[in-house]
Amino acid sequence: MKKTLFISSSAIFSLLLLCGCGSSAKRIDPSGDQGLVTTGDINTRDWQDVSTRCVNSLIASGALNRADGRKSVIMISSIKNSTDRAVNTGLLTNKIRQSILASGKALTTTAVGAKGAEDKATRQVRDLENDDIFNARTVAKRGTVIAPDMSLSGEIIKAETRDGRKIEANYMFHVVMTDLNTGLAVWEDTFEITKQETKSIF
Amino acid sequence: MKRIIFLTAILSVSITLFSGCQDTVNSMQNTPSSMKLEPVNASCYSTDDFCRDRLKILGMNKSVTPGGSMQIQVVIRSERYGFWSELWSGIMGDNPYYVNYKFDWLDQNGMKVNTANSAWMTAIFIPGETKFISSVAPSDKCKDFLLQLKEADSK
Repeated sequence: MKKTLFISSSAIFSLLLLCGCGSSAKRIDPSGDQGLVTTGDINTRDWQDVSTRCVNSLIASGALNRADGRKSVIMISSIKNSTDRAVNTGLLTNKIRQSILASGKALTTTAVGAKGAEDKATRQVRDLENDDIFNARTVAKRGTVIAPDMSLSGEIIKAETRDGRKIEANYMFHVVMTDLNTGLAVWEDTFEITKQETKSIF
Repeated sequence: MKRIIFLTAILSVSITLFSGCQDTVNSMQNTPSSMKLEPVNASCYSTDDFCRDRLKILGMNKSVTPGGSMQIQVVIRSERYGFWSELWSGIMGDNPYYVNYKFDWLDQNGMKVNTANSAWMTAIFIPGETKFISSVAPSDKCKDFLLQLKEADSK
């Protein structure tokens, strides 16, 4: 009887120890492959995957090249979030704009965006022309800001399927580059990420 | 004695059925090929015998995109087919086979160019499947690259 009690208590104690064991926080490579993967959310690795494929497709397309040799100016418009989760689409657009600039084929503007200027300073500094503490000649002039030629927009869509304990989430990222002079889409592509998970019974 | 023979037979049939249940990819291609390839000479440094034996690099080619940038395409086939490979990958849960890869691009001075398209990506191989993994140079200054491949968890 004593032996059984001892074995049972040892087993319970071991289980408690095992369950209670966690791991301390550690840094991981943000561009690495150790990031968490969940079906319910768009994870860091998903953003990386999509932005990598998006940048490859955009640069390869030649849509950024202009016949007159001038660099296109691109504004970042809206990325519509049609998923059931709050998503900061800047995680995608910031990487794309960084890559567009690094490519040397186009420039991006912060003077205009989907919800007004991304950087309000462009307009604010021009309001200083009537402020007598500033040297008027050093204030940025009106009529000098360059309007965008193209706009980057898109939509993120989520479709979820359940079959018993199995869940499948499909995220579709549709990205479009529009020529603002003609309204025509000069480049568009769709990138999909599908994840599957089997929930535990408990 | 009879019992041992019976059990051995059952085990053999189970293993055969188990491994036979895996899907492998069969392929065909037109010959002679009309492609005009520009192969890339590459030096390889392999630290993982498993990955080296399970993947076969069929070709590494380059081209210039309509945007004027250099594009690299690597053709890889999963060699994890055949009785023993399928049996082993079935037992280990490695079917399909997950491989992560990353392209790093270098400028003319050998400096790495930081860009969004230098991140680990995942390629999922069915036994016998051929995949084309590619990357576009982030700028026209990039002419050299480094491709890294590694086995990955199925996530």
